[in-house]
Amino acid sequence: MPYAPEHDEVENPLRKGLRTDSLPEPCALIVFGASGDLAHRKLIPALYNLALTAHLPAAFGVVGVSKSPYTHAEYQAEMREAVGKYSRSKPIDEDVWRDFAAGLRYVPGSFDEDSTFQQLSATLEELDRVRATRGNRLFYFATPPSTFPTLLRQLQKHGMVRPPGDSRFTRVVIEKPFGRDLASARALNRLVLEVMDERQVFRIDHYLGKETVQNLLVFRFGNTIFEPIWNRNYVDHVQITAAEELGIEGRGRYYEEAGLLRDMIQNHVLQLVCLTAMEAPITFDADALRDEKVKVLRAIAPIAGPEAVAERVVLGQYTAGQIAGNDVAGYQEEKDVAKGSRTPTFAAIRLNLDNWRWDGVPFYVRSGKRLPKRMTEIAIQFRKLPHALFGEGAAAPNTLIIRVQPEEGIALRFSAKVPGERYHPRTVSMDFRYGTTFASASPEAYERLLLDALRGDQTLFTRRDEVEAAWKLVDGILKVTEAPGAPPPRPYEAGTWGPREADALLARDGHAWRRP
Amino acid sequence: MSFSFGEPIAGGQGARGWDELTVRFEHGMDLARVRALLQEVKERAGTPGETISAFNLVAIYFSSAAYERAQAALEVAGRLHPSRLIVLIADRREEEESVTARVSVVRSGGAVSLERIVLTAIGGGTRHLESALIGLLVPDLPVVIVWGGRTEGALLRRAVETADRVVIDSGTRVPEALADVAALLARRAPVGDLAWARILPWMAMAADVLDIPNLREHRAALESARVVCAGDIGAEGVLLGGWFASRVKKARVEVVVGPEAEVDSSMPGGGDGTSITGLPAPLGKGQIAAFEFRSPRATFTIRREKMVLVAEVHGDDDGGVIHRVRLPPETPGRLLGLELKLLSGQDELYAAAVRAAVGLLPGKSA
Repeated sequence: MPYAPEHDEVENPLRKGLRTDSLPEPCALIVFGASGDLAHRKLIPALYNLALTAHLPAAFGVVGVSKSPYTHAEYQAEMREAVGKYSRSKPIDEDVWRDFAAGLRYVPGSFDEDSTFQQLSATLEELDRVRATRGNRLFYFATPPSTFPTLLRQLQKHGMVRPPGDSRFTRVVIEKPFGRDLASARALNRLVLEVMDERQVFRIDHYLGKETVQNLLVFRFGNTIFEPIWNRNYVDHVQITAAEELGIEGRGRYYEEAGLLRDMIQNHVLQLVCLTAMEAPITFDADALRDEKVKVLRAIAPIAGPEAVAERVVLGQYTAGQIAGNDVAGYQEEKDVAKGSRTPTFAAIRLNLDNWRWDGVPFYVRSGKRLPKRMTEIAIQFRKLPHALFGEGAAAPNTLIIRVQPEEGIALRFSAKVPGERYHPRTVSMDFRYGTTFASASPEAYERLLLDALRGDQTLFTRRDEVEAAWKLVDGILKVTEAPGAPPPRPYEAGTWGPREADALLARDGHAWRRP
Repeated sequence: MSFSFGEPIAGGQGARGWDELTVRFEHGMDLARVRALLQEVKERAGTPGETISAFNLVAIYFSSAAYERAQAALEVAGRLHPSRLIVLIADRREEEESVTARVSVVRSGGAVSLERIVLTAIGGGTRHLESALIGLLVPDLPVVIVWGGRTEGALLRRAVETADRVVIDSGTRVPEALADVAALLARRAPVGDLAWARILPWMAMAADVLDIPNLREHRAALESARVVCAGDIGAEGVLLGGWFASRVKKARVEVVVGPEAEVDSSMPGGGDGTSITGLPAPLGKGQIAAFEFRSPRATFTIRREKMVLVAEVHGDDDGGVIHRVRLPPETPGRLLGLELKLLSGQDELYAAAVRAAVGLLPGKSA
């Protein structure tokens, strides 16, 4: 009996109340860019772990597509090595791997050539027969953005895209960067939506797959005690830091094109701002959640024009320095980076949210490469005491720190009396650590996101208007900082917390960056 | 959405082994000494100040042998959900009277994640256990009791009154014992059941099948179901049948005996009602071998092939195998860890399934 939408109206009587999520439907996942770094390090290991934890249906297959001339067997061997190296669970379970590899195929070829897609089509039909993947397709674009239009056109041309109401689903996962500015993001969205429906598009931001980022929603909306103080009446300012110890790791060509604003701020950092600042969604479904995030992005006061950028944005670029006792090269000495490059590797920005909850509460965000350590955190700095009962400055304002990585957890800093005769307050920390409180290993971000895409759940993926709203904000800054004659990024020594001007950005408001 | 990924490895570090201290009381008990012992063992472990506890995990047994069989599962579950594990062993058969306290801790991720206190009482010493337990509970944390005895009696009733959750294993008992469980549930007891955790893959597979788009049309037309148990009718099979009957009220449900299991292993724990460890890998006597449900135009069959569940549909256009999933490994503690995810209140789905299961027992009508 073919599928008919009216059958969805009858609730599954066996699903209700069951403490388990449904397995994804049978499906073939097609990875474009299958010989690339992302497939090796993240995608295939994540899929293997999903198989290991019984989250994949048996009727499942993976087809890798890229230019490298592998045979099926060679690709399977290559991926086995990748899983052995990068999987979070080791050693490899041979039985699980054997099952998984039996559904792993490879199609070599250029994305421009019709023959590649003809071969892909034949391979998918073979998977449908042998692995019972039933015509369901999840396409994963793990390729540079320049290939997206070609891939979309080819899929359409070869009849590989089915409409959203079809019993056989077609979905596409698109890796960042989704465009390089507002205009290109809009153009790409238009193109994607000419070929598919928004319900079929999964724009991935792997930060949203992180357990601690999702926990932010539970922390805010699963507790009664925080929400009443989560506003301008109690919060003085918010600091969000996404710091990396690493440099550009040989990706000079990509980084010269992207820069820090495109690589981190437009997606990861603004997502953290959204989750921190958003109102409670009316339900926990994809659109309700994304509606609230979009409202935050729209509430951020635009940073447009040279004056606004000079006042609220500091860009930096690392020079040679030391990290963890080792000498590291400056950005301009990295491979494929032009001498005199003006690409920022650091950004600090003051965001103002013009809405009822956050008016007058600055959100300071910073992100950079070659900073002293790898860490991402959100720090909510509460207001000072109204009256200094124990002496001026004796009791520091409370701070709530949400550590996204590493040592995922939440710490609340508050004053306690130092034992003794006098009332000496001292700041102490109440610390919740994921690693010790929940002594089970969390899934990797890509596991969670791939599983959601296989299930068709878009909650943790970004929607068209969300992407464009984020680009609109960043575009205003790019237009100024990339204009001819714009000042170059400020130099900062590798292993420091960025240029001095970043400190001045906060000092002007009487604040200082945390030293995490 | 919920996730459970394997056995606990905190922050990539394995837990450090036991370093046990013991004290024996001939008459009465001195809880202050037990607490001092706990402090000493924590200091020996190197982190006296930092202890992570999500709840009090209390396990009650009526022989040391029963505890030894369950020990691995308790420790794994205790580490998965950091807790104070208090084990009470009440052996009234001895004439001698004494209480022995054994205390140890496990560190993981730089903190004490499991405090273990085992009180073994013999003879008249057993009367001290209940009050000792109250003194040893960590305040303000939920209390989960793992009950290794029969699902009846005064002690269980009192445990039910004080605990946030009582975890039993009806799979280790005869199907008729489900009636005692139903009585407990009728008093709103917050019961968790390892047998329920064991049959979860069967239920999930059945639900998954009806989520497949071109099979959704059968959702409203399910009319009957049959559970086949290997060699003998087991409580898990009856519970699965009860679940289906409670979900599809108009359906006729039967539980029948199928061929003997390929390996003659008994029910988990040897059927003595004490083990909380997982099922043995081969299909055991009384366990579920197949589950079949029907609509007028299709028959859905889920059967166990060694450690894989296979779903098939016949009569529908498509036919053939539609789903195949590997059964999760029944590692020690996994089932208990699953049950510990729900910490308070009654699982209404389970309660309804037990009520319906009682109706499937011989002499009752479905």
